[in-house]
Amino acid sequence: MIVKRRQMDASVPAMAMGDIAFLLLIFFVILARARDDSHLQWKPATGVKLVRPATMNASVVIDKYNVTHLNGREVPVSSLSEELKVILGENAAGRRTVILKVHHEVTAIYFEPVIEAISEAGGELHHILEEDKQR
Amino acid sequence: MKLKRTKLLVEPPASATSDIAFILIVFFLVCASVEPDQGRAQTLPRSEPEPKKDKQSQNIEVELTRDAVIMNGNPLPKESFAKTIILKLADKTRDEDRIVAVKSRKEVPYSHWMDITGIIEDAGGVITLQLEEEQTVQVQ
Repeated sequence: MIVKRRQMDASVPAMAMGDIAFLLLIFFVILARARDDSHLQWKPATGVKLVRPATMNASVVIDKYNVTHLNGREVPVSSLSEELKVILGENAAGRRTVILKVHHEVTAIYFEPVIEAISEAGGELHHILEEDKQR
Repeated sequence: MKLKRTKLLVEPPASATSDIAFILIVFFLVCASVEPDQGRAQTLPRSEPEPKKDKQSQNIEVELTRDAVIMNGNPLPKESFAKTIILKLADKTRDEDRIVAVKSRKEVPYSHWMDITGIIEDAGGVITLQLEEEQTVQVQ
């Protein structure tokens, strides 16, 4: 007597895909929110021999309206140094990186006091630039 | 005679959700990777409120205007500035001799400032900023 083998159902449960999509969406939305200076409007200056910073402990942006932001929050330049000191704390060298994003047309009257404040707080400055492909 | 009505499909097509998920993931990944994250590190000495004048006079002084460079009082085009600063710093071995004081006029754009400070750093110079301190004078 030949016993017929029962056929196994090997289909992927398509209904679960909706749940997976929803969880992935939440994950990416949270990830996007963490980079909370992404809403600021600025265009980087160009440069060559660019490198990625190894660490990133604070982010300072001067947008196209000459407004200074620390980690996405608007701050007056006069208090920037003190706020950076709090963020950087007693971190050792190499873990005090402050990335600086300045709109390419911002003038020295706005960006020099910011650079001075970062230097005063003991931050390790890393300018964010765009690769100059013409050079 | 009674005709049987055909049943309409009310369930959403579940197999399409995987395609929607994939397209959404691609969209968010593209959005997340647009922001630039490369740049240039710059070492600046901590600011001193009262710079020592005798030491400063020996250092190279670079003044920036909106689109020009003035080195020790001589205006230079960008190309010859690069060559001159390399020559000036070539024979200096100590860090304190390689200090270049950069003074910018208030209308200097960031892109120009980055170009010039990049040239100085590539030549081996150590940048210090010379800022004009604001003073409030009360007139009686």
